[in-house]
Amino acid sequence: MQVDGEHTEHRSSSSGLQFQLHPLVLINISDHHTRTRANAGGAAAVRVLGCLLGSQAGRTVDISNSFEMRLNPGGGEVDIDEAFLQKKMEQYKQTFPQQDVVGWYATGAELTEADMQIQRKLMEVNESPVFLRLDPSRDPSQKDLPVCLYESELHVLNGVPSFIFVQSKYTIETSEAERIGVDQVAKILPTGAASGTNQLTAHMSSMHSAIKMLISRVALLHQLLLKMQSGEVPFDHDLVRQAAGLIKRLPAIDSPQFGADYTTDHNDTLLSILLATATKGTAACNDIVDKCNLAFDRISLKGGRKGGGGGMGSTIGLGLPLGMLSGGPGFL
Amino acid sequence: MSQAAAGDQQATISNAQARWELENEVQNVAGPADLDALYRYDAEEQKALLASKPWTRDPHYFKRVRISALALLKMAMHAKSGGNIEVMGVMQGKIADGEFIVIDAFALPVEGTETRVNAGAEAYEYMVDFLATNQASGREENLVGWYHSHPGYGCWLSGIDVGTQMTNQKYQEPFLAIVVDPHRTVAAGKVEIGAFRTFPEGYKPPEEGPSEYQTIPLDKIEDFGVHCKQYYSLDISFFKSSLDSHLLDLLWNKYWVNALSSNPLLNTRDLVAGQLADVGKKLEAVESQVSSTGRMGRFAAGSAKKEDGKLEQVVRDTARVAAEQIKGLSTQVIKELLFNRSCGCGGEHTATAAAGGAVAAAAAAGGGGTAPMET
Repeated sequence: MQVDGEHTEHRSSSSGLQFQLHPLVLINISDHHTRTRANAGGAAAVRVLGCLLGSQAGRTVDISNSFEMRLNPGGGEVDIDEAFLQKKMEQYKQTFPQQDVVGWYATGAELTEADMQIQRKLMEVNESPVFLRLDPSRDPSQKDLPVCLYESELHVLNGVPSFIFVQSKYTIETSEAERIGVDQVAKILPTGAASGTNQLTAHMSSMHSAIKMLISRVALLHQLLLKMQSGEVPFDHDLVRQAAGLIKRLPAIDSPQFGADYTTDHNDTLLSILLATATKGTAACNDIVDKCNLAFDRISLKGGRKGGGGGMGSTIGLGLPLGMLSGGPGFL
Repeated sequence: MSQAAAGDQQATISNAQARWELENEVQNVAGPADLDALYRYDAEEQKALLASKPWTRDPHYFKRVRISALALLKMAMHAKSGGNIEVMGVMQGKIADGEFIVIDAFALPVEGTETRVNAGAEAYEYMVDFLATNQASGREENLVGWYHSHPGYGCWLSGIDVGTQMTNQKYQEPFLAIVVDPHRTVAAGKVEIGAFRTFPEGYKPPEEGPSEYQTIPLDKIEDFGVHCKQYYSLDISFFKSSLDSHLLDLLWNKYWVNALSSNPLLNTRDLVAGQLADVGKKLEAVESQVSSTGRMGRFAAGSAKKEDGKLEQVVRDTARVAAEQIKGLSTQVIKELLFNRSCGCGGEHTATAAAGGAVAAAAAAGGGGTAPMET
């Protein structure tokens, strides 16, 4: 389903590692770049370097955080301040003990010779570091993220063994809080009191655009398959197998167990809605009883007698939601 | 210029004036996007502001906070990673006329408990160390505040927090306190965040109108009530750089799957159960009050008004829970319709119809559900 742009001029990786990239890393690098540029007085070609933090489980590398690296003053483009790097690593180890250095990042439009020198240096920290290159120049025609991941591999070129960069695929991975945060900063929602309807509208519109995206992808696939059928494009068995797999998978879960759980969920939600409506109704009743009491008291005051009936009305109103409530939390 | 300005407009309209002022101070207006000027750090300007100490004259001097996308993400993720344990960290940034600008945040290695978090000597050592290395890598920004999490019980300052913040404001001005609630963030689908500053000791704040109501569990309400007059909250807005928005736009191409695959109901189960139990307790409290005053008769209109307020608060609590539940359920309903309907004929048409139907059905359910609850 994921259509990743694969550049043909580079070899692709054969290590079989899967990379998961978190949006926080992208924002972090972008922030580093913007800040450096803003402080350099608008000079465009400022290159920033940093370390990528993450964790590896099996063949999956999760890249979840990053920090800046420093160059030795006056030491050229590749002279990394190692003492600084060690210090930073220790600091991050204290707050995020499960994260290790998995690679490094830099901004730039293309790979340079200097990148390989830094890559070799990073091998002292992690034996196979991954290099993330982010292209900060904005190309409106580009539809994919301007991010490339590289691993280094030892190849024999012209009889000389040497390291070259090979490109790796990556997927975007998010945690729940990260997703919400990204959604929020992407749209820059007003922070004022988000009422129920506001929240719902925002949520619905994001669902809507996701579904629109899904439909456009499915339509694209459908068109391609049609063209394959008519023979316009060569028949790609691998792709067709994947498409067949996707179709076979629908309906996604169709077991009685799921049906029961789904209904429970549904009913739980309806119950809490009922609770909300009942409470609201009670509050309204209470309000009316109060008003009646006031009016009734006035009349009875005029008549010289105190009314006792009004007080009862308000307690009757409250009986309903309390009865429901004792069942409410238990259901959930 | 006109293009950049158009880009800004959609980002923050409310801050147009503030930014206009800011642009005029910055020398290089010809930069690629004036929004990025917020990331610029002018040591001289900051020094001058720090030296003049306008906040000592007016306890309400700071009114607004601007938080970068990066800092918001970092705080939300750190708070969430703590689970039910409170975590804390500090923020870097700068100050401008009457506002804090938070550019970055980092976590502190502090172990909190479920109800409190406080930084010890080690944490301060770490903080100083961290700042020193940051400055070595060319980041001049000062420490402007601290943040910590309140898992599940809302954004406000507890008694301990007020104490911490007061000390900080005495010795580390300008200083800001930010509270993030990770559990409610997940439930509400937006980052629940509050920014606060305390008043100096002995200062009596002017009587304000009722502040924005928020749900606070019954067992915390006393702590909230005792201290809520000792601090005030600041308006929060967010900003992102032009490169950020460019990347975020592109990110959506890879990212839309997450919007579909998440299930808000699953993650907030405990929170919802807790909130409902809390509503139950509050209702009982209201009931006993109403019935006792009921027997005494209702001559005093004043006391009756107060009770109504309480009942009204419970109504808002439940409405909030219900709204979040509707949101969660609607996601499930849509997914059920999209992926779980066995339809004989494949193809995009059914998919479109199902999607359209789901949205319509959910919208109808949502509209029907929320409409009567909205006050």
